[in-house]
Amino acid sequence: MKRGAAAIAALVIVLLILAPLRLNGYAMDLTYITVLSIGLAYGWNIISGYAGYFSFGQIAFFGVGAYATGLLVADLHWYWVPAALVGGVAACALAIPLGYVMLRLRGPFFAMGMFGMAQMVRVLVTAIPATGSGSGLFLPPGSGITGVYYWTLAVCLGAIALTMWIEGSAFGLRLRALREDEQVAATLGVETTRAKITAFGLSALIPGLLGGGYALFLTYIEPDAVFSSRLDLQSIVMAILGGLGTVWGPLVGGLVMTQISEVLWARFPEIYLMIFGGLLVALLIALPRGIVPAIAARFARRRGA
Amino acid sequence: MSDPLLAVENVSVAFGGVQALSDVSLEVRNGEILALIGPNGAGKTTLFNVISGVLRPDAGQVHFAGRAIVGWAPHRIARAGIARTYQIVRPFGRLSVVDNVAVGALVHARSIGQARNDARDIVTFVGLETYADRPASSLTLTQRKRLEVARALALRPRLLLLDEVMAGLTPTEMDGMAEFVLRLSERGIAAVAGIEHVMRLVMRISHRIVVLDAGRRIAEGDPAAIQADPAVIEAYLGAPLGRGD
Amino acid sequence: MILLQLAINGVLLGGVLALSALGFNIVFGVMRVVNLAHGDFVVLAAVFAAYAFAQAGVNPLLLLPLTVAAGFVAGALIHYLLLRRLPSELAGAEASSLTLTFGLSYFLTGAGLAIFGGRFVSVPFLTGAFQVGPLSIPQARLLAFGVAVVLSLAFAFLLRSTALGRAIRATSQNLDGALACGLDVDRVRTIAFALGTAVAAAAGTLMSFLYNLNAQQGVLFTVNAFAVVVIGGLGSYSGAVLGALILGLTESFASYFLGATLAEAAPYMLFILVLLIAPGGLRGRRVA
Repeated sequence: MKRGAAAIAALVIVLLILAPLRLNGYAMDLTYITVLSIGLAYGWNIISGYAGYFSFGQIAFFGVGAYATGLLVADLHWYWVPAALVGGVAACALAIPLGYVMLRLRGPFFAMGMFGMAQMVRVLVTAIPATGSGSGLFLPPGSGITGVYYWTLAVCLGAIALTMWIEGSAFGLRLRALREDEQVAATLGVETTRAKITAFGLSALIPGLLGGGYALFLTYIEPDAVFSSRLDLQSIVMAILGGLGTVWGPLVGGLVMTQISEVLWARFPEIYLMIFGGLLVALLIALPRGIVPAIAARFARRRGA
Repeated sequence: MSDPLLAVENVSVAFGGVQALSDVSLEVRNGEILALIGPNGAGKTTLFNVISGVLRPDAGQVHFAGRAIVGWAPHRIARAGIARTYQIVRPFGRLSVVDNVAVGALVHARSIGQARNDARDIVTFVGLETYADRPASSLTLTQRKRLEVARALALRPRLLLLDEVMAGLTPTEMDGMAEFVLRLSERGIAAVAGIEHVMRLVMRISHRIVVLDAGRRIAEGDPAAIQADPAVIEAYLGAPLGRGD
Repeated sequence: MILLQLAINGVLLGGVLALSALGFNIVFGVMRVVNLAHGDFVVLAAVFAAYAFAQAGVNPLLLLPLTVAAGFVAGALIHYLLLRRLPSELAGAEASSLTLTFGLSYFLTGAGLAIFGGRFVSVPFLTGAFQVGPLSIPQARLLAFGVAVVLSLAFAFLLRSTALGRAIRATSQNLDGALACGLDVDRVRTIAFALGTAVAAAAGTLMSFLYNLNAQQGVLFTVNAFAVVVIGGLGSYSGAVLGALILGLTESFASYFLGATLAEAAPYMLFILVLLIAPGGLRGRRVA
């Protein structure tokens, strides 16, 4: 099972790497958005899947990354790659104090608190005159989508590698323990605050870096575009569908969802939202843990474990 | 006499209008088995919460191995050598049995691999090796109780706080658990066992007994003295001790 | 004087927010479920009322029994067929119910858009205002406030003095105790959820003559209800009313003094502040 999964994953990755050589226009844009969403899903998976702190506001870090990068490129004329790196660092730097404050909340309070926090960040960022005060920020047209695509793919692959590491590490075990029962984990020696903040920081770094790329992709950034609820929700759904707290969940969920989304949009544009929502509910009831755990359970039963 | 391993000094805790603990003091020595008995609601779990750092007392102090630990974060107390089990078992349901134990083992192990190895040894020690790689949620209550103890042992504690560890076990299983606690004591691990009834075992295995009622310590002494203490008998509504369990 | 005017507006708004929050609170209190589709029930009722008025001139107040009944039935079905099926294992429950109601929200938004389209609508009903000295009290707001108060009181009566209400409160406060008393907890939960959505529909019907709304604004009202419940305190109905008044006043003053953009952040700021400083809310149960 493991070898099969790894082979499929490798194949998918190779295809993704080769994509720009064969695709352009709409198909390329779509591939880029898919990879971006999967990357976001991986970032989300760390704080929400592994640590169990469901967040509805990770988009705040995406937006911060986008704006930080946008400002460096537009106003200070930086080359976009280091600017995007700074975008990621800025998001992470924001996350650490924010985490100390917000991670004291639990369950739905944290989820909605993060939602509120994201809205606040959006309002505050766009109130700064330098960012064009909501009327948008123009970036010089870049090197075309290829550079941004590879940046995004690299971050996404990095996120997958990070997740693989977390899965097998002591850090990952501690996170999962605190997800199951935080108080018990603490009485078993887990430094819960430190673990949570680290997870939160990683879950901010990834969208921050991705946001940097997105700024270049759009070349014109405005608040609603980069603090996009739609992107946020899309990545959340991918992670949940695929399997929260697993290594391959976000990838599988991402690929499946993109296909479903494309088909639905093409054939039923008027009732797209309805079907999408309905499908989500149906899938959740049928596979409450997501696709990957369901498949893993099937294999485990076949082996007669 | 050497200093006690654990010294609870004048600890008081109130929740809203209810005084859960009033000026409670007790001592535990290295390798000693102390039974903390009292009716339901007497404050045993609250005291355990204070000692393990989960709850901060309104007044009083706790010394462990000479250091004042009130105000320490729970993980720091755990690393210092105090491990506890919970009255209502709380396994990490979605983690395997080994991983459940490995969490505690991480404190002393140098890598996760070593932690898992140490965990396997402990899992075998408590007799759960057949279920080692199964999710903890698949265990029966009795097995979960053993898992609770296994997780606590992974911390290599000097002091074990056992909260109602006998509840829900069959008489044979209780004897097994009692033997287990005795063996730990022989290895120098002290234990405070919070127990509501099952006095027969309490009398057999404990070196000393402290009796709580409504948050106060009403008696302390060796089993024979406690059995005869009128205050204790009254607290249990005249139920005879050491008989009929 | 302007302050008094703002205060009045805020209080009147608060009344309707309170009704919405009561519905949200009962679901959260009884089942610890955050119904992310709550706002969609509010908005769909409002949009429906606006259309009914536009097509057939039906007074939204007359529509109330209809929307409330529809909301109740819909909620009951949703809980009975869907929510009950979710696993309630240790750490999974909250995530799955959040996700399910989240998908539901998408579904309802989509349904609303499909049926009613995306235009902003409202009921131009009672557009006049009473002049009390220098103060202007919009008639529509006053009416909505009045009806909201009546419904809230009816709701409170239900909770306090009927067997059902006692069953609901028992299940919220002490699940094991309720089970031990032989309460059919599943049925109580279904009814509680249905009540929650019914009340949301009522609030929405009232909102139809206060605001221009479109089918996509469900999220806004969900967040509002959540904010009210957080500020007032989980599990406390009087707290929810207090929270609603505070939120109404905040929104009223913030949009006047801070302008529209920053005023958007004000409710979020308030509710985050409360979450951090007083996690149990102003009147909520102590967090152990």
